[in-house]
Amino acid sequence: MEVFSFGLLQIFMSLLGVCIGVIFGSLPGMTATMAIAIFLPLTYAYNLTTSLFLLLGLYVGGISGGLIPAILLNIPGTPSSICTGFDGFPMAKRGEGLRALRIGITASLIGGLISLVSLWFFTPPLARLAINFSAIEKFLIIVFALTIIAALSKGSMIKGIFAGFAGVLISLIGQFADNNTMRMVPKLFRVDLRMGFQLLPVLIGLFALVQIFQEAETGVKEEHQNIDLNHETRKFSFKDFKGQGFNLIRSGLIGTFVGVLPGVGGSAASLLSYSQAKSMSKHPEKFGTGYIGGLVASEGANNGLTGGALIPLLSLGIPGDSTTAVLIGAFMLQGIQVGPLFITNNPDIWKTILVAMGVANIFMYVVMFYPIKYIVKVINFPKARIYPVIILLCTVGSYATQNGNMFDVWAMLFFGVVGYFFAKFKFSIPSFLIGFILGSDLEKYFVDSIKGSGGDLMTFFSRPIGNAIWVLIVISLVYAFYDEWKSKRLARKTKK
Amino acid sequence: MPHITYKLSTSHWIFPPIIMGILAFLAIIMLIQRALKCKRQGTPFFNFKNYHFFEENWDKVRLPGTLILLVLYIPSMELLGFLPASIIFIFLFNVLFVGINQLSSIPVAFKTKKFWSNHDFRSLLISLIIAVVSSLLIWFFFGQVFKITLP
Repeated sequence: MEVFSFGLLQIFMSLLGVCIGVIFGSLPGMTATMAIAIFLPLTYAYNLTTSLFLLLGLYVGGISGGLIPAILLNIPGTPSSICTGFDGFPMAKRGEGLRALRIGITASLIGGLISLVSLWFFTPPLARLAINFSAIEKFLIIVFALTIIAALSKGSMIKGIFAGFAGVLISLIGQFADNNTMRMVPKLFRVDLRMGFQLLPVLIGLFALVQIFQEAETGVKEEHQNIDLNHETRKFSFKDFKGQGFNLIRSGLIGTFVGVLPGVGGSAASLLSYSQAKSMSKHPEKFGTGYIGGLVASEGANNGLTGGALIPLLSLGIPGDSTTAVLIGAFMLQGIQVGPLFITNNPDIWKTILVAMGVANIFMYVVMFYPIKYIVKVINFPKARIYPVIILLCTVGSYATQNGNMFDVWAMLFFGVVGYFFAKFKFSIPSFLIGFILGSDLEKYFVDSIKGSGGDLMTFFSRPIGNAIWVLIVISLVYAFYDEWKSKRLARKTKK
Repeated sequence: MPHITYKLSTSHWIFPPIIMGILAFLAIIMLIQRALKCKRQGTPFFNFKNYHFFEENWDKVRLPGTLILLVLYIPSMELLGFLPASIIFIFLFNVLFVGINQLSSIPVAFKTKKFWSNHDFRSLLISLIIAVVSSLLIWFFFGQVFKITLP
């Protein structure tokens, strides 16, 4: 067994990841997912331990950086900071910008640490349970993940499911491992698509190019913050958190829970936590007016998401959000399979993840808390100057996927255009990506189950754990239909 | 009992038709949903007249320009090599995103011999510096230090 160790290089990579992540998170339109997608090719140069320090640093920094434009511009830097501006921006307007930022950063740290403890606590037992899974349960758990995506594609449930299954179909293109026969490949691309579309060009196209196309469409508008941080009317103090302890812990746990659900994303964590804090507060009328409780709820939850999203990834092999879907790429590039056997087979990497997450959270706090006055200048970086460099990084990353294949760069462009159309017609891009990642496993477990049962489809109802997963699938679908019906009825009532 | 015949030689076509069937089923549901919505609202099923694919006041230079430059950049790397192609295209992307009206400053700057003090020409020079520095840095770190295969 490899000895678990980390040194100065890993610490440096974590710090580098956090700093770059904060920059990506701070710039509206750039996300943690984009940062990880662009820097993923660096994992070719380093081993998995070093890469994980960098990538998890990018993840934590990217999620945390989103609070800066949310508070100073009232524009969430990342979707997960959607509610941060509700109270952060009014605070900044009345001369409490630095205070709001530091409250948000501290809440982010606590949320991140709560999710880290949850990750450490819940992943091993979930993985131990999943070790007993046969191909049938593994197939059903992926179906369950796809139905959850549907349940949470608010207002466009069918489109959410459609996008997920479209991702599954695209993942089937290429050679089928059982009989080494190609399917769904045009003759022209028989060589390039032998192994299907590679993950890296697909996700770079979907998460980086789509963003650039959307920005280009609106003219690459720059946002400039005019909040004066030099004349504070009220300074930050840890006493600000008096009476917020329960809110903070609840928000961290809500974020962790939402993170566990596949495909849900940070905006849902922020919204759910904010609405819970508001409904349970003694002063709900203060929410939205620059109240600390709202800020703590949003920031505690979105950093709580980071560890939560890793739980299903490491125990079941199912990504919790689009960013962890990208992290799967890092494991794939190193030839490591995430899933029930991951912790048993790779105890050193498991410990590395826990340490890297802890280190990244601490670095995030140190990097953001003290020099925040200077970091906020990042949001004035002109996007028009950054996007060309990102295009360069995207191209290099895609080309390197198969050690130098221009087809992958074309694939990146193709998926960038496809993603742009998806966004236009409101098909969920994260659902598509999760379907794409899980598609080949879904097929493998389905065919293995069929082989094992001699073709009898009733085999999917033959095992107790499988039947329990069926119940969960039905519950998530019923909830999805009920929720969609309820929100449509509400929308109609509001119109009247 | 529902049954699927498993044959190794045709096993690669067991799963794709199922997914295609699900997608077709979902597509039909979406069409029905749209038809019902149109009926309820009294609007036509195909409403091209009031349909806007692009955002209001969308940028008719930057969006098509981005796509065209990307399409040209990829083969140019094979023709010219990574560094020259990247320097040229990253410069062009910079000019495109910052605003192509800066190009009109070129004759003015040469005529007046004022280069850095001319705001638009300075922006072009910054674009060039970014293109050269970023391409060289990526070539050096990715290609030489990390030994990642470059186009």
